[in-house]
Amino acid sequence: MGLFDRLASWLGLKKKEVHVLCLGLDNSGKTTIINKLKPANAQTQDIVPTIGFSIEKFKTSSLSFTVFDMSGQGRYRNLWEHYYKEGQAIIFVIDSSDKLRMVVAKEELETLLNHADIKHRRIPILFFANKMDLRDSLSSVKVSQLLCLENIKDKPWHICASDGLKGEGLQEGVDWLQDQIQAMKT
Amino acid sequence: MSSSSDSSREGESSKWLDAHYDPVAGLNSLSSCIALADLHGDGEYKMVVGDLGSGPYNMKLKVFKGTSLLSENALLDMPTAVVAFLMDQNEPRTPAVAVASGPFIFVYKNLRPYFKFTLPALEVNALEKEVWDQAKEDRIDPLTLKEMLEGIRDKAEIPLSVRSLRFLMLDPQEMDAFVNTYKQVPLKRQTVITCMATLKKNMADEDAVCCLVIGTESGEIFILDPEAFTILTRVSLPSVPTLLDVNGQYDIEYRVTVACRNGNVYILRRDSKRPKYSIELSAQVVGLVRVQKNIIIGTSQETLHGYSQKGKRLWTVTLPASIMTMSLLEHKSRSIQAVLVGLKNLEVHLYRDKNLLSVISTPDIVTSLCFGRYGREDDTLIMTTKGGGLIIKILKRTAQFEEKDTSSGPPIGQSIKLNVPKKTKLYVDQTLRERENAVAMHRVFQMDLYRLRLNAARAYVKALDASLTPVSSTMQEPLTLNAIVQGIGPRFKLILNLQNTSQNRPSMQLLISFLYDERLYQLKPAFFKVPLLVPGLNYPIETFIDCCSDKGISDIIKVFVLKEGKSTPLITAHISMPVSEGLVAA
Repeated sequence: MGLFDRLASWLGLKKKEVHVLCLGLDNSGKTTIINKLKPANAQTQDIVPTIGFSIEKFKTSSLSFTVFDMSGQGRYRNLWEHYYKEGQAIIFVIDSSDKLRMVVAKEELETLLNHADIKHRRIPILFFANKMDLRDSLSSVKVSQLLCLENIKDKPWHICASDGLKGEGLQEGVDWLQDQIQAMKT
Repeated sequence: MSSSSDSSREGESSKWLDAHYDPVAGLNSLSSCIALADLHGDGEYKMVVGDLGSGPYNMKLKVFKGTSLLSENALLDMPTAVVAFLMDQNEPRTPAVAVASGPFIFVYKNLRPYFKFTLPALEVNALEKEVWDQAKEDRIDPLTLKEMLEGIRDKAEIPLSVRSLRFLMLDPQEMDAFVNTYKQVPLKRQTVITCMATLKKNMADEDAVCCLVIGTESGEIFILDPEAFTILTRVSLPSVPTLLDVNGQYDIEYRVTVACRNGNVYILRRDSKRPKYSIELSAQVVGLVRVQKNIIIGTSQETLHGYSQKGKRLWTVTLPASIMTMSLLEHKSRSIQAVLVGLKNLEVHLYRDKNLLSVISTPDIVTSLCFGRYGREDDTLIMTTKGGGLIIKILKRTAQFEEKDTSSGPPIGQSIKLNVPKKTKLYVDQTLRERENAVAMHRVFQMDLYRLRLNAARAYVKALDASLTPVSSTMQEPLTLNAIVQGIGPRFKLILNLQNTSQNRPSMQLLISFLYDERLYQLKPAFFKVPLLVPGLNYPIETFIDCCSDKGISDIIKVFVLKEGKSTPLITAHISMPVSEGLVAA
């Protein structure tokens, strides 16, 4: 059974490949989260600020994700919109300990949602309220309030608190994302 | 944290994001006392604020990280300037914080006190020193000491030390104690730091080593070596510097622009022992910012001037309110340089050259402004308000500053309609009648005018003969008189205001007499003398009138001002008495 199953997945589910955009401000933990989602032997040890963007792949039980890990630095943020067309889902990472730049994150989110390539597509958005381990971090409820997530009516979204270093909360988020993508495909 | 934008202007809310507003942050600071620096070398910029505290207490060096206070250090004296600068080439490149207060510069590294620099003492007056030496050996008593010091103060060219000036202020009974306390301490004269800035030593890089440039109360500019804290350059100025702006590099070429208390701005260059250029302004300088090659000066007369670096005026802008503070906005990624001006009318204006780019409304008067990298955001504007609040705004990535002139379109006066009255048919008919009967109208009017003149002259001569007028303009006795009646009766108060209107001739020997119906009114003294009337002064003379009729009748009372020895009155006033309401009611 195991062999057949593996063969089936190798032949059939291989096609279920999903392109995901990973967005967020610089220093929010995008690369760390993506790295943590990869299998243990493929993880890198030291993570440096992303220049431009990088393409990463990871698999869940039924889907294969291709992630565009974008750089969040101010000067690279105008690159984001070039990849909106390809994105079938969005992972938006927020540094929940950076209260000062919450407005910047909100602003970037608004620009993202109002972009022509995103506005009329019903694509799932997963928010990670990252850096939950820090002492002065905000709760995921507070983060969703500050970002006015309740105003997103036409897209399925989900926010989960995460700790990118330990990997806490990531699985929950990815499971939700997988469910949403499968629900949309059927 | 306020995420909702409260600014009413649509254009402004599209440029700035309200990151943080804390109205009770308790920050009393000035633009010169705020610095942004990557204190721990982790890429997260902190804000260092020299808090002036409330009055002479609670002066603190506060460090903010994000929206919260990271640390606090107590300061001994009022901070006049705070700068962050790199002292050495050591790794990691963590900047030191220099706080100028009094005659000292306190240098903090890793937020711990590290070094204290003291300004060199000034020369002491030799005579003063001698006098204090004598006091030390008890050869003179405090009173002689005071006399001698006063003598020195009046003629010496080197001013007295603070100790002598304090001594001269004291009361005689406090002098003994003061002399006994301080006579053993050697006499010295100190100056204090008024302003401080940094100057790159030999590289223009962001992380280059910086020299400190300080201005002192003694009217001097010092440039200090960053590592050894020795004085590299010392320049004298004609007045006390208050605001500094420095650019260039110490080893190559630099310019120091200094605004002084005498309302002048001086420009110093490398190797110049005295100011190279001087800009004279008609008002005190309240803000000085260099934008590229121009110097922008804000004055206390609500104006903003742009000067070239050789001191030539390029433009002037009049502002709607007085300037509270000024600062430079440098948008590095788009290489925009502009001036932020905090105004008293709760606005912060952004000027590029003389064009107003943007207006930010603030909930309180902004007293200090600082734009730069804070936290992880490059374009952050930090403002502290008069009430001690802290406002942080972030410039949007997509914000566009379009060049637009402040005076757009024709002046408002052009669109106001003039209030010209309308003419009706009545007016047109009247003009027709005038056209037809012009000759008759003219004749009749002229005839009437002759009659009017005759009657007026007759009445005037009659009044002059009887001296009925209340103003006399004769050369001998120029007087004016007016009378006021107060009260509702039966007792009235009569106030006669008598004034001599001549240049320099006092009136003497005048009398006042009343003429009235004795059945109706009673005046206690109906005839009295007037005091000497000094020219120009108003003499109120009061008497009481009692109404003795119970029928509710009123009559006229006449007042005569007479010259002693003459029977014709000089001036006369007629007072129509009101009906006595007291008796009517009774």
